[in-house]
Amino acid sequence: MSVVNGKEVSRGVELGLAGCHVCEKVSPVAAVHCPRCGSHLHLRKPDSIARTMALLIAAAIMYVPANLLPVLTTRELGISTESTIVAGMIQFWNKGSYPIAIVIFTASIVIPLLKIVSLLWLCAAAKGLVPHSAKILGKVYWITELLGRWSMVDIFVVAILVAMVQLGNYMIITPGPGALAFAGVVLLTMFAAMSFDPKLLWDQLEREEDVSSAQTLS
Amino acid sequence: MRTRLSILTWPEPKGGPHRAICHYCDTVHEAKPIEEGSRAVCLLCGATLFQNRPASLARVTSFSLSSLLLMVMVHTSPFVDMDAAGLRTELTLYGAAMALIDEGSTLVGMGVALFTIIAPLILAGGLFYVCAPLMFGRIAPGAMFVTRWMNRSEPWNMIEVFLLGVLVSLLKLGKVAELHFGFGFWAFAGLMVCMAAAVAAIDKRELWDRLEVARGK
Repeated sequence: MSVVNGKEVSRGVELGLAGCHVCEKVSPVAAVHCPRCGSHLHLRKPDSIARTMALLIAAAIMYVPANLLPVLTTRELGISTESTIVAGMIQFWNKGSYPIAIVIFTASIVIPLLKIVSLLWLCAAAKGLVPHSAKILGKVYWITELLGRWSMVDIFVVAILVAMVQLGNYMIITPGPGALAFAGVVLLTMFAAMSFDPKLLWDQLEREEDVSSAQTLS
Repeated sequence: MRTRLSILTWPEPKGGPHRAICHYCDTVHEAKPIEEGSRAVCLLCGATLFQNRPASLARVTSFSLSSLLLMVMVHTSPFVDMDAAGLRTELTLYGAAMALIDEGSTLVGMGVALFTIIAPLILAGGLFYVCAPLMFGRIAPGAMFVTRWMNRSEPWNMIEVFLLGVLVSLLKLGKVAELHFGFGFWAFAGLMVCMAAAVAAIDKRELWDRLEVARGK
């Protein structure tokens, strides 16, 4: 129990209470299943850090082919050119379409990388490996979850171009293997964000406070 | 009178004391009813615990019904027509997903269909199916099951991302061909707004509280 603004507050883990992750009803975790919606109750997401790390490592590996393999192949008048995500972005930049180049750069390169780095940082913080403010990292987690989906924009661009540019001998666009790898990166990072439990950041903070108060007592 | 009340207020389920646990820091709070338009925040970390949205059921029902009607329009008229090399091609949501499947990228095509067609349909259809009967204090058969699937499909609804994809593609194609916006494009833009409004119109907690109260009657 701790005191915030003159009010005593307790954490769910101290009282053995769990908020249902589906319907939000608070019940004793000993009940195993939520009395309202029947979902499984748990104090923390199961194996949160191990699952998040596994998904992140897979995403980081996939990030390499996602950027090296072509996402689409353009066959124009019999000549095939393959383009990667970065090449498509540079094309926009060279043509002077700076805003669109920046949108693609942000959605396909910056966001996936930032997600992987920030989730790694969150896992490290929850394990106590790096000093942290649980309040700020909670916000970092919220933003990470919010932005992840926007990386899918490149996959949609590929789908739209493939659907529209079927002009016989003149010009045909087909999807490349990079598209699958890139969609894999986005999905894996989304699942990684879903597996992480921000409550672990506060658990770690509490452990650190216990240690420091024990030290001052002795 | 009873049905009117069920339209207007966020009912409290039986039993109690009702509590809310912060998703971020695990702090336990007593969940007291709050005024319409206000939000309850966590004492420790300041995250939102729940919000009491004004006219929640009426808004969810009307925005989800509009979303469903707009979906019909989105699927029946093309987004964009393109004239190039004497050929005319059209873009539809179904066409975008099918193009990938036809060209051998089956998994990615199925993903595109899931994110742009199936998840939005589950979300809008589910909200309407569950919330319209609740306006009259009734519970639809299987409403709890539908609500769970709705919650599950929410992160996979990516229509706003697809709209950005359409704009990027059009800028790419605008240089090689002549493009005409179709009715489907404007319907899709409307769909994006209505879906966002429908999802934001009711707090998850309020929806489940209402389901619990309606089931108990």
